[in-house]
Amino acid sequence: MGKHKIGTTSEIQPGQRKIVFLEGLSIGVFNVNGRFYAMKNVCPHQQAPLCKVTGTTLPSKPGEFLYGREGEIIRCPWHGWEFDLTDGRSIFDPHKCWVKTYDVEVEKAEEPPRAETFPVEVVEEHIFVHIHR
Amino acid sequence: MTVQENSGKPGIIDCDVHPIPKSLDQIRQYMPKFWRDRFRGGGRGLFYGNPFHGMRQDAIPPDGGPAGSDPNFVRKQLIEEYNIKKAILIPRENSCQFPDLDFGNAIASAYNEWIADTWIGPDNPDGVFKSSIVINHSDPIAAAKEIDRWAGHKHIVQVTTDSGARFLMGHRNFHPIFEACCRHNLPLAIHPGLDGIGINILPSPGNPSHYIEWHTCMSLSFMAHLVSLLTEGTFERYPDLRIVLVEGSSTWIVPLMWRLDMEYKALRYEIPWVKKRPSEYLRDHVRLTTQPLERPDNDEDFLHMLRMMDAEHLLMFSSDYPHWDFDNPKAAFPKLPEKLYNRIFFENAEQFYRLD
Repeated sequence: MGKHKIGTTSEIQPGQRKIVFLEGLSIGVFNVNGRFYAMKNVCPHQQAPLCKVTGTTLPSKPGEFLYGREGEIIRCPWHGWEFDLTDGRSIFDPHKCWVKTYDVEVEKAEEPPRAETFPVEVVEEHIFVHIHR
Repeated sequence: MTVQENSGKPGIIDCDVHPIPKSLDQIRQYMPKFWRDRFRGGGRGLFYGNPFHGMRQDAIPPDGGPAGSDPNFVRKQLIEEYNIKKAILIPRENSCQFPDLDFGNAIASAYNEWIADTWIGPDNPDGVFKSSIVINHSDPIAAAKEIDRWAGHKHIVQVTTDSGARFLMGHRNFHPIFEACCRHNLPLAIHPGLDGIGINILPSPGNPSHYIEWHTCMSLSFMAHLVSLLTEGTFERYPDLRIVLVEGSSTWIVPLMWRLDMEYKALRYEIPWVKKRPSEYLRDHVRLTTQPLERPDNDEDFLHMLRMMDAEHLLMFSSDYPHWDFDNPKAAFPKLPEKLYNRIFFENAEQFYRLD
């Protein structure tokens, strides 16, 4: 295992995801309200590609519907099994069924090397370069 | 790439694949004008449907059309992916729930023409697709004529109908259908979906409130139909009749047959035409497809169940592609002994459908 750069934060906006292929594994990287999570793109049930993100109905009293966790729940596109994106745990049985997750680090991008530049002003077609030190 | 080139292992047989028309207009073109203007599709309609997705969400063909409507995408996503050497198509025309029997008959006929013109016609150069004659069992005389019409087609391997019905399947009402099946030596595949819809009676003493209840209790229909077929002596009257129970799951058959065999010991007097224990008719006359596999947490329990249900002879693999509860043939089962795997994944179907 190693550390892999998979892109920049501007590529994955809140609510979006990017699927990457690292060390033979298909992994989904998600932006959930500004925080990044990575999850194996394979459902533990029958190996479907997990790809949809949604909210879900929270545990409630009979007849009551409480909707929440918008953007934090993955629903498998085959049988609909739900997983918490933030820790990989299944909703229906968090202790016995989960999807592998991976740590995500966001690091500031290094400034690319640049040549030193100076402001330029044009007066009556004479070009002046201002040197400020 | 052909199936044989895909791997060194033998190909499997998928006993339940659903072809979907690209649009209702595709079906309408086979209907006389009167029905064409009335036909709006629909089956369970607004009553019982998966609240999220009825089809696998990754099964939409890239070239357009709904999931399951493109034979070549099915070849890619199902046939080649899982090394399938034959896919048994079960079109779902949804005809038997209509009170207007002529309407139901027209729908069934149109679907049969469509399938012959496409999936088992020009779209089947490699012969990978085999299919089923759809019938409106609510009109058994018309259904028998439809069977006679299509039985000779080289890619037809069975007749199919819905488990939703007004009569239990052993009822004499269905005799014309069984006679037609036997005339042509075609099995009858019973597939759920219209139980309790339209004129059909629910298998439960009340309407389930939620789709999960309705879906779970589909097995109740199959239990009732199977007991009826066995106790009415259907297989004595029609010794060549073979039945497939598709998409009703399978493990329920174990305690059901224990119970029916127990009852038979006491009550044979009432049904003297049943000449042996009811469970002894299963090997010669009944098969079950595997999906949706009711797999418990304990794989050992499940293997015991397979042994108890005589899976070696009765069970045939099915995926139900492209529906949401599709079973992945590489992942749905725990590891099976090779002999049992071969029986379930291709040998039983090859023998039953005479595919070799």
